[in-house]
Amino acid sequence: MRGADYIIKRTAFALITVFVAITLNFVLFRALPGDTIANLSKVPGATPQLRAELTEEFGLDQSKWQQYWIYLGQLAHLNLGVSFSSTEPVTSEVGRAVVNTVPMVLLGTVFSVVFGTITGVLAAWKRRTLLDHGSVSLALIFYSLPTHWLGLMLLLLTAGILPRGGRTDEFLFNPTFTEHMIDIGKHMLLPSLTLGLVLYGQYTLVTRSAMLETLGEDFILTARAKGMRDRTIVRRHAFRNAMLPIITLVALSFGYIVAGSILIETVFSWPGVGLLVSRSVQRRDWPVLQGAFLVLTISVVFFNYVADLLYFKLDPRITT
Amino acid sequence: MRKTIRAVAMAVALATTAAACSSSSSATSTASGGAGVVEGGVLRLGSSSSIDSLNPFKAFEQDAYNVFQYIYPYLVQWDENLQLVGEWAGDWTWNADDTEVTFDLTTGGTWSDGEPVTADDAAYTLNLILKYPGPTGLMAGYAKHITAAEAVDEGTLKLTYEAPVNEAWALSELQQIPMLPEHIWSAQEGEDGKGLRQFTNDAPIVSGGPFVLNEYTKDEFVQFTRNDGFYGPKPHIDGWGLKFFTNEDAMVSALENDELDAVESIPAAALEKLQANPNMVVSETPGIYFDDFITNSNKPLHEELLDPKVREAFEYAIDRQSMVDTIMLGHGNIASTIVSEATGDWHNPDVQPLPFDIDKANQILDDAGYARGSDGTRMANGHPMEYEILTPTDVTGVDREFEIIQSGFEQIGVKVSQKALDSSTLFDVMAGPEYSYPNSYDKFDLALWDWYPLPDPDFILSVVTCEQWGFWSDTGYCNKQYDANYEKQGLITDQDQRKQLVWDMQAQIAEDRPYIAMINRNVLEAHSAKWDGFVMSPIGSFTAYSKLTLEQVHQVA
Repeated sequence: MRGADYIIKRTAFALITVFVAITLNFVLFRALPGDTIANLSKVPGATPQLRAELTEEFGLDQSKWQQYWIYLGQLAHLNLGVSFSSTEPVTSEVGRAVVNTVPMVLLGTVFSVVFGTITGVLAAWKRRTLLDHGSVSLALIFYSLPTHWLGLMLLLLTAGILPRGGRTDEFLFNPTFTEHMIDIGKHMLLPSLTLGLVLYGQYTLVTRSAMLETLGEDFILTARAKGMRDRTIVRRHAFRNAMLPIITLVALSFGYIVAGSILIETVFSWPGVGLLVSRSVQRRDWPVLQGAFLVLTISVVFFNYVADLLYFKLDPRITT
Repeated sequence: MRKTIRAVAMAVALATTAAACSSSSSATSTASGGAGVVEGGVLRLGSSSSIDSLNPFKAFEQDAYNVFQYIYPYLVQWDENLQLVGEWAGDWTWNADDTEVTFDLTTGGTWSDGEPVTADDAAYTLNLILKYPGPTGLMAGYAKHITAAEAVDEGTLKLTYEAPVNEAWALSELQQIPMLPEHIWSAQEGEDGKGLRQFTNDAPIVSGGPFVLNEYTKDEFVQFTRNDGFYGPKPHIDGWGLKFFTNEDAMVSALENDELDAVESIPAAALEKLQANPNMVVSETPGIYFDDFITNSNKPLHEELLDPKVREAFEYAIDRQSMVDTIMLGHGNIASTIVSEATGDWHNPDVQPLPFDIDKANQILDDAGYARGSDGTRMANGHPMEYEILTPTDVTGVDREFEIIQSGFEQIGVKVSQKALDSSTLFDVMAGPEYSYPNSYDKFDLALWDWYPLPDPDFILSVVTCEQWGFWSDTGYCNKQYDANYEKQGLITDQDQRKQLVWDMQAQIAEDRPYIAMINRNVLEAHSAKWDGFVMSPIGSFTAYSKLTLEQVHQVA
């Protein structure tokens, strides 16, 4: 079967990447300066002997190799360990953050993909017109805006109209399903819009570039010579052939959805993976960091893998 | 209109889950809050802090401790004048030699699961800490010198100390310990108490304070309903919610847009706008928090920094007023000692901050022999007086503080550069990897940081003791005489003598200058004009040190 070798190779590569990431996760966070035990024992009433207690509790009294083997053993049982600061299982901490993050980032990403692709197609189709220059300029402006600044500006502009932060209105008690959905939608709108606006520019530029390249091909000239309408050429021929790099970019973007966005989550008080990672770095909460980065690694590797397979499927020019 | 419907609906919903209902927001009285107290309702509070754990033996974040104050009994609490008054304890008496104290506890209270709140719970909690000092290590320091806790009867608790202790000191330590329900926590001890830190203490929490913690969504929201079995004064509100924000500007905006009724603190930049808003009430009072300039007092990288004259000159070159004006927009004051003026009698008024005087600073350095080089930078021990100042990334305004210091130091021929580090890394660099005396505090020269002290001076005085090396000490200061005074002040029974010792210790620190206390920041709070009863103090309204605000807060007619 065409491509069996290709699939096997990509699969093996993905698995090796995940294993290397697991080891790097373990090593890198422990290389950070700053001490977990010192952090978590600094409360006014704390006693110095608390340090010994925490060191033993977190298994840090064992050698690095012992800690690594325990870590691998736990992972083999799908156990990501327990948070140093909250004692909660890492799976529930990270899982909760991922559940909070994915809808918001997905909405923003979909917006950026759709809006970016449309503006890119239009810009290429109407190249060297005001529409082209305007689209590209606007895309570049939004792409270069500091994310947190844009978020803050949108917050200020919508004061009194949209909520100021959080995932829901916790003081909306016993809402109906519709009220709850509207409430979530209102809270998600600004963070997703901010994310979408700062990201769509890359899709505009990639799509425009791919479209321009395709529109310059001989088969497009042939289609024109055959009397095909411009709109039909763009939609049926040019865009479909220009899709390949866009698909790759989309797949990579989806891979990073679970990473959240620390800047957006901070501005909008959105309890996602970005905030979790940021707080865990400050607390040197290694199990949570290891778990979050493992989830991110698997997500990125998986969607890269999907992109490779899609590419292979869509482009007959690719051989093993 | 919509918000009112929500608030009433929530009040009704909360009332149905409380043990005994009160009506929602229609009853009006002229009770403790003065004219037009409206009973009932739900207070919506915003916070820029967070909760890491609901287990008092694990929690680190400030809001966790604030929450414990409202759900658990505490023997005593701080009032608005920073005086220790009874909370669960109505009264207490000491024996003749101040080694035993007997508390008369208010009886009749129940935990939210119906079990009675008795002295057995208090004795259990304190004995638990004494028995397992490792697992209870976050609280164990507050039980220092206690040897036994005994429930004489359900309303009487007796504590025995190993030596005579100072009453104010002892009570301020006890104020930090939440009294836990024995029937819940005794089942969690595990082997050698190891289970105590593993217990997540999930919501709904069995609570004995004025409120029950019903619902907790991590990093998002905490919901409380009134505990009608509380032994103390019945709060006016049916419940309250605490919503977490990671953006202070958004939180203030939420307050202005009626998504919140009050916030725990506001940035100085928001003060003027809120004061101009007729729907807002802004409160301000001098606080006990201070920003400090640290000089390595063990082995700085440049030994001239151990010269008292250099430290004195540095203090003359720090423009504190500019810091108050720029960072706090005038909402603060110049600090003089590490025990802030807002603590009242504990502050030593004889210790005065040196004025900003560049000429005086230059004169001191000239007289001490630190001549200027060809580029204007002074020389010390054969090298230019150029130093790195370490700064934490999470202290508001620290970059501006550095700039002000840099500008002043430049005028006295000293060059400084900034190195910003996160708090964990910063402490690691300062204390060094080997935490035991005398092998650390040898990798830095100067730093900027801040302190949120406790109302009693014991804690802030402790951070410069030798024992705190590798723990709370960020100066490497170690003075045996100072340490002896520190131990003594907690055990001396005469209040005036203790005060004198505390004053002497402040003077010692001010003279040796491991810290130069630069500015005190005012406590700034805001709430909707629809609410009243907030008890403002130098430690704030919503605090781990007092239940008063949430017992007294109410809607106004």
